Amino acid sequence: MGYIRSFFGFWYDFLVGDRPELFLGPIGALIVAWLTVRANLAAPLSGSLLFLLVVAVGSLSVAWAIRD
Amino acid sequence: MSSVALVTVLSSFLASAVEFVEAVTIVLAVGVTRQWRSTLIGVAAALVALTLLVAVFGTAIVLFVPIDVVRLVVGGFLLIYGLGWLTKALLRAAGARAKHDEAAIYEREIAALRDEPPIPATGMDWISFTVAAKGVLLEGLEVAFIVVTFGASAGMLGPAALGAAVAGALVLGVAALVHRPLAAVPENGLKFAVGVMLTGFGTFWAGEGVGIDWPAGDATILALLAGYAVLGIFGVYVVQGRLATRRVRASAAAAED
Repeated sequence: MGYIRSFFGFWYDFLVGDRPELFLGPIGALIVAWLTVRANLAAPLSGSLLFLLVVAVGSLSVAWAIRD
Repeated sequence: MSSVALVTVLSSFLASAVEFVEAVTIVLAVGVTRQWRSTLIGVAAALVALTLLVAVFGTAIVLFVPIDVVRLVVGGFLLIYGLGWLTKALLRAAGARAKHDEAAIYEREIAALRDEPPIPATGMDWISFTVAAKGVLLEGLEVAFIVVTFGASAGMLGPAALGAAVAGALVLGVAALVHRPLAAVPENGLKFAVGVMLTGFGTFWAGEGVGIDWPAGDATILALLAGYAVLGIFGVYVVQGRLATRRVRASAAAAED
């Protein structure tokens, strides 16, 4: 049981680390981008939206890091 | 060689160079304080394990997983990983986070190793082997992750592995010559550049994975890289400004008290 916990703990640290918003944020941004593609939004708009959402996630994470 | 292949080699080279510099610090500390033979056997064992990881997982992903799925999942991981590198490098460049100090890490490693049991008179020193192998494996795992994700998304596992191998040979060669931690390497600048590259490519490939038909094709990658680089540098100045304002307010409040 300890090995399994260590295994998942290692991968959690490796991928998520101390900033979960940097893991969940891009996934959320990709879901929103996928929804805009499904809704037939023009490709430049979907692409720009994805870029802006990624920038927003990064900015939010930096702002939280400074606050902490 | 195409421009995507060149950027793949460059990204993999820079990311690997940073990680190898960190691994070399641990290896040097172990070798200098304990036994070089066991240390180098540990390094070799870790490098073999990493090569197998890249070969097995990289080839399996390229051969058996549809490219759209690879671009969405692997591109998504690249985006997550790159954004992590970029924001950390931004915070370090702005002074909001301590920079990686290889010389200090080297001293700490040496102090920790001096507390270990004495080196056996004959045969393997398993402490040297384990510490060196673990250090190279953990730092190298990030290299393997970047090589596999980058290589699989672009369909360029070879160029990505080549970039990592050249970086490894270069860092190990320089470390063998100077025989001390490579503290002069601008690690944070490299991490910033790699963060921009991974985030840009991750956005492009994961975007393709969710069905975005980028209007300028591969040329969009350059626009994404430029956009993240400019905003990242701008972010450094914004954070520096915020920290300066906070320091002024804190000293003003202290003066009032």
